[in-house]
Amino acid sequence: MPKVISTGTSTVSKLSRRSFMSGSVLAAATMPIITRSAKAEEPPSDGQDNARALAAVSMRVNRQSYNFALDNRTSLLDALRDHAGLTGTKKGCDHGQCGACTVLVDGRRVLSCLSFAVMNEGRDVTTIEGLAAADGSLHPMQQAFIDNDAFQCGYCTPGQIMSAIGCVNEGHAGSEDDIREYMSGNLCRCAAYPNIVAAIVQARDETRRS
Amino acid sequence: MRPFVYERPADVSAAVAVASRFADQQDQPTKADVQFIAGATNLADYMKLGVAKPKRLLDLNALREPTLRQIKIGDGIIRFGALVRMGEAADNDDVRRICPLLSESLKLAASGQIRNMASLAGNVLQRTRCEYFRETSWPCNKRDPGSGCAAMEGFNRQHAVLGTSDGCIATYHGDFAQALIALDATVEIEGKRGARRMEFAKLHRLPGDTPDIETNLAPDDVIVAIEVPFAAWSRRSHYLKIRDRESYAFALASAAVALDLDGNMIRHARIALGGVATVPWRAKAAEEALQGKTLDQEVAETAADAAFAEAQPRRYNAFKIPLGKRTLVRALLETRDMKV
Amino acid sequence: MNQAAPAPKENMGQPVPRIDARLKVTGQAGYSADLAAGNVAYAALATSTIAKGAIQALHLDRARAVPGVLDIVSIGDMDQIEKPKFGNTGASSIGPLHDKTVFHDGQIIALTIAESFEAAEEAAMLIEADYAQENPSASFDSQGTKIEPAAGKSPMYKEDAKVGDFDSAYASAEVKIDQKYSTPTQHHNPIELFSTTAWWQGDQLTVHEPSQNVTGWKIELARQLKIDPANVRIISPYVGGAFGSKGPMTARTAIVAVAARRVGRPVRCVVSRMQAFGTQTYRAETRHRIRIGAGKDGHITAFAHEGWEVTSRPDPYVVGGASATARMYNYGSVLTHVSLVRADRNTPGYMRSPPETPYVYALENAMDEMAVALGMDPIEFRRINEPQKEPIGGKPFSSRSLLKCYEQAARAFGWSRREARVGSMRDGDWLVGMGCATAIYPTAVAPCAARIRLTADGQVRVQCGSHEIGTGVRTVAGQMAAERLGVDLDKVSVEMGDSALPPAPVSGGSISTASVCSAVLKACDAVRQKLFAAAVGEGGPLAGSGNAKLDMAGEKIVADDGKSAALSDLFKTMQIGAIEEYAEFAPRGSSPEALKKLYAGESEFHGGDQDQDSVKYAFGAEFVEVRVNSHTREVRVPRLVGAFAAGRIMNTRTARSQLMGGMIWGIGQALHEATEIDQRHARYVNRDLQDYLVPVNADIKEVEVILVPEIDHEVNPAGVKGLGELGNVGTAAAVASAVYHATGKRIRDLPIRIEDLVT
Repeated sequence: MPKVISTGTSTVSKLSRRSFMSGSVLAAATMPIITRSAKAEEPPSDGQDNARALAAVSMRVNRQSYNFALDNRTSLLDALRDHAGLTGTKKGCDHGQCGACTVLVDGRRVLSCLSFAVMNEGRDVTTIEGLAAADGSLHPMQQAFIDNDAFQCGYCTPGQIMSAIGCVNEGHAGSEDDIREYMSGNLCRCAAYPNIVAAIVQARDETRRS
Repeated sequence: MRPFVYERPADVSAAVAVASRFADQQDQPTKADVQFIAGATNLADYMKLGVAKPKRLLDLNALREPTLRQIKIGDGIIRFGALVRMGEAADNDDVRRICPLLSESLKLAASGQIRNMASLAGNVLQRTRCEYFRETSWPCNKRDPGSGCAAMEGFNRQHAVLGTSDGCIATYHGDFAQALIALDATVEIEGKRGARRMEFAKLHRLPGDTPDIETNLAPDDVIVAIEVPFAAWSRRSHYLKIRDRESYAFALASAAVALDLDGNMIRHARIALGGVATVPWRAKAAEEALQGKTLDQEVAETAADAAFAEAQPRRYNAFKIPLGKRTLVRALLETRDMKV
Repeated sequence: MNQAAPAPKENMGQPVPRIDARLKVTGQAGYSADLAAGNVAYAALATSTIAKGAIQALHLDRARAVPGVLDIVSIGDMDQIEKPKFGNTGASSIGPLHDKTVFHDGQIIALTIAESFEAAEEAAMLIEADYAQENPSASFDSQGTKIEPAAGKSPMYKEDAKVGDFDSAYASAEVKIDQKYSTPTQHHNPIELFSTTAWWQGDQLTVHEPSQNVTGWKIELARQLKIDPANVRIISPYVGGAFGSKGPMTARTAIVAVAARRVGRPVRCVVSRMQAFGTQTYRAETRHRIRIGAGKDGHITAFAHEGWEVTSRPDPYVVGGASATARMYNYGSVLTHVSLVRADRNTPGYMRSPPETPYVYALENAMDEMAVALGMDPIEFRRINEPQKEPIGGKPFSSRSLLKCYEQAARAFGWSRREARVGSMRDGDWLVGMGCATAIYPTAVAPCAARIRLTADGQVRVQCGSHEIGTGVRTVAGQMAAERLGVDLDKVSVEMGDSALPPAPVSGGSISTASVCSAVLKACDAVRQKLFAAAVGEGGPLAGSGNAKLDMAGEKIVADDGKSAALSDLFKTMQIGAIEEYAEFAPRGSSPEALKKLYAGESEFHGGDQDQDSVKYAFGAEFVEVRVNSHTREVRVPRLVGAFAAGRIMNTRTARSQLMGGMIWGIGQALHEATEIDQRHARYVNRDLQDYLVPVNADIKEVEVILVPEIDHEVNPAGVKGLGELGNVGTAAAVASAVYHATGKRIRDLPIRIEDLVT
């Protein structure tokens, strides 16, 4: 009998409220079952009209439900920025090369520029705007970025912070070398890298303590 | 980007059925009107660039078969479900223990975010990052058959020296595939013709006269799993990736090595080379050169010479021959010295 | 206090956190493309795929047929407006839609405007052009380039510096080198994409665009559109990295403004990363020949620096860094000459630490070679040639702490542990090398205006049309106001990045902190004078303390006779709610037109080598440790130490971060960054962040920045020397020297790549 070592989506469920993520993302620990699935015997028409039709897309973003009507081509990034008005998530390359658009989807850090929004039906998305508590108190990672001057122009910062939270949650912030390696998908042209590493160490340790 | 119809099939058979209905069987999967998408990291990029132009995308992420998302280990086989993400596979402790080469090849690829998104099957099917392929204003035999190759006499520092043809020198940039080809992996496929298995080594095609034909897959073939045999020897395995910067860059040269040692004597070496070839590249000549030898610097150098004996350099990539050799030598010695 | 917040030493301000830090970590800082514009239409560029020739026909039908397309602006549609001008404000004189001539690859040929981003992009990709193509000249070695002297082509480079008789001094020198060096094309690649959002309300045009020069752009855009500058407003509150790329306005701005007028609604164009390579500026590739002659004692007697720089056909952009290298050491005789090489390329422009980065790289790599030739320690070689006066005009340095920087950096780095013999240091499989180099950057300042308002409750508002590009200028301007007006920083708000504010110079050339702080200082002093006069005046709370020395602290007017008066009480006495002062600062030696020019969007730079009394530079010393794998030869830089002296340090936190970022930029210059050109077609090949490599987090390990105390009252009233660009100068030469030390291979052409070391 082959032994099941791990399953595809097990990582999210280990998180706790105090371990960096807001509680709401815990809900979606498995791939959502989608009702809009295609049946082979009932293919939709293949005309241009169909390809251009707007798709109804629902997702939770920062603990709120959003119902979008989107072009299939719209990236998750553009849906957040242009359709949800959440401009904290940044476009730096639009091709998955800079990390500025990093958000958490179902608790995992991903590049929102390389994900079509329609592929995120039913998902739970967290952006930089969703980190601070309702009373305005900052997430420990946000405070650590301030304390360690982990940015200059600030443009890559939302992506750095979301990626840093993902990095710690994934268990890849054990050493400074690990942090450097696992944060290398986030370019900082101002080159605040040593300060970013220091910030992540601070936030990681604070979170462990609490 | 051209508009597309988006569908989310519920299971593998539905995916195959929709794909067979809309794809011309004569089409290459990369040119077909209907294409599969999972992690999106390669296809979305190429759709934005106008390199890939599917009219219909089938999103595989809702496929209900749980095995697609599982890593199963037993009976000398690691079975990776096709939708397992690179990051999950890289972090799997059992895989790392059984065969470090697999974990290292995954961990050294791309970035944390991309590894969280990219599926294993999608990763091995990623298309070349050749600059002239990426941008549609250049002639490219792979993108537009018969249009010519701008890289051949252009800026070809990244390009391949092994497996090239007069029509194409684009490098296969993946890392995981090097581990798979070295380890004699097999892919499980479901398609219109039913389920079948294919040696991983047969998945990719050399460019030859038809660089646009990249794999031996039909447009309605879905890879459902990748199987990798393992044994005690696979613990002594290692992936070395040399690049311009420390992380988040493609290999200039890489080596996937697994050594079956009897004391200091090499019973069997398994070697693949990345960053230097047009397809995942098994270096059989190097393996043969090592057979029965005691591995030292000199023996390793002989093997490296054998690996690159047929290499064809161009103006800017000639350094890949000495670099590729040095990379293989270093990888062999590091693998030899592993504490297992 | 953590590493990011070094304890202030003499003449250094507190490491207070950036006043906009919270906005930046919560996603609330509004960059240009984030700002709401209402009912915005999306635009996308179509660009040329040849570098030289003419457009014979543009095929727009397929693009127009894309559902959602509102309009297409293309060649001929700009005829009613003026062409751009090349200069400090304008990136190029090429008016791409004025003209069917193609001057370079990636030139704008059309702008599509649509209801959605997706439709605009789809349409732009469907535009095709028929070209009459000519053979382009890509770069130095191409056929058909034109070479001409640079002197006089730019107000920043009037002449080739020269002194003494180089030829005979060089001929008779006991030890000499004659070497060639080169640096590649590089693009700034700030992470924020370039964008323009424009809309009209009647005659009023508003533009959101990341800018380092809102006032200059307002004037230039109005000129192009033939409208009153008073009707143009450029808004750029936060800039997502600039590095010079957002200094000059490009042709796109006016095109988007015209598009917005045509469709009658706001239009936003976010330029793709790929298209930015051809539509923005870049660092010109340079070549250098350096000859140094010295006596066996190490005293330099002859120095020649010849430079060649690529520019576009129509625009004579000059890098011109020989003016700085000519003044670096006590040379005896100096000969410099800079030439422009005109090719079929877009026009280059300022990129972090122009012109020093490429020129000082060449000089400092040569200095290391010379030290090797002399058998001398490279620090000692520089110490021997430390000048008392700058060698060209014989003027004194306003301050020069270079040797102090070398001493402190060498100690922190552990230079004494370096074994001089090449290839002698090793750590396992890694060859270890150590190198050092000098950093220099001219200290300049320009006229600037600022408005300060102080209210009775101690709230301060600072307004200045400068630009927060990540330097922390908003924070240090606030600190200056807080200090002068005696309030806590959290009571200060600072408004910047808007052409409706009092004008400031271009945020380039490391002049912002000095210029802005000098203007804020002047405005604050005017507020103080009014308050002091009222306080000690008849009926004032400090009447009778007229001879006391007054200051402001803790929201009080404080007299040195022990008396004090609360601001709130003083305002009550004065029967006012607020004081507002508008100050115009002009540096010493300014021309009579300096302030007029400020309002006209021109920045009159003072300092550097331009002043009569002295030359003004900031200095630093940088040390690097490299590791080169003995098998595979990749180069890594695990350790950097830099010591810098730059006059008054306003905030040790932001200063350290800027210098650290600059040093890491230097790693990119040394090892990673190059825009590759297909020489046959004069086209950029690696136009994205996948193939244009910049350092990532894993490339950087230890970076130590030492702030060396320095007092210089001569540079400007704030006593500040800019340091945003200083850190980036010298690093690449230090890396090249360290690679030589590790491997024995002297790499003279940047970037240093594995192919240079593996064969």
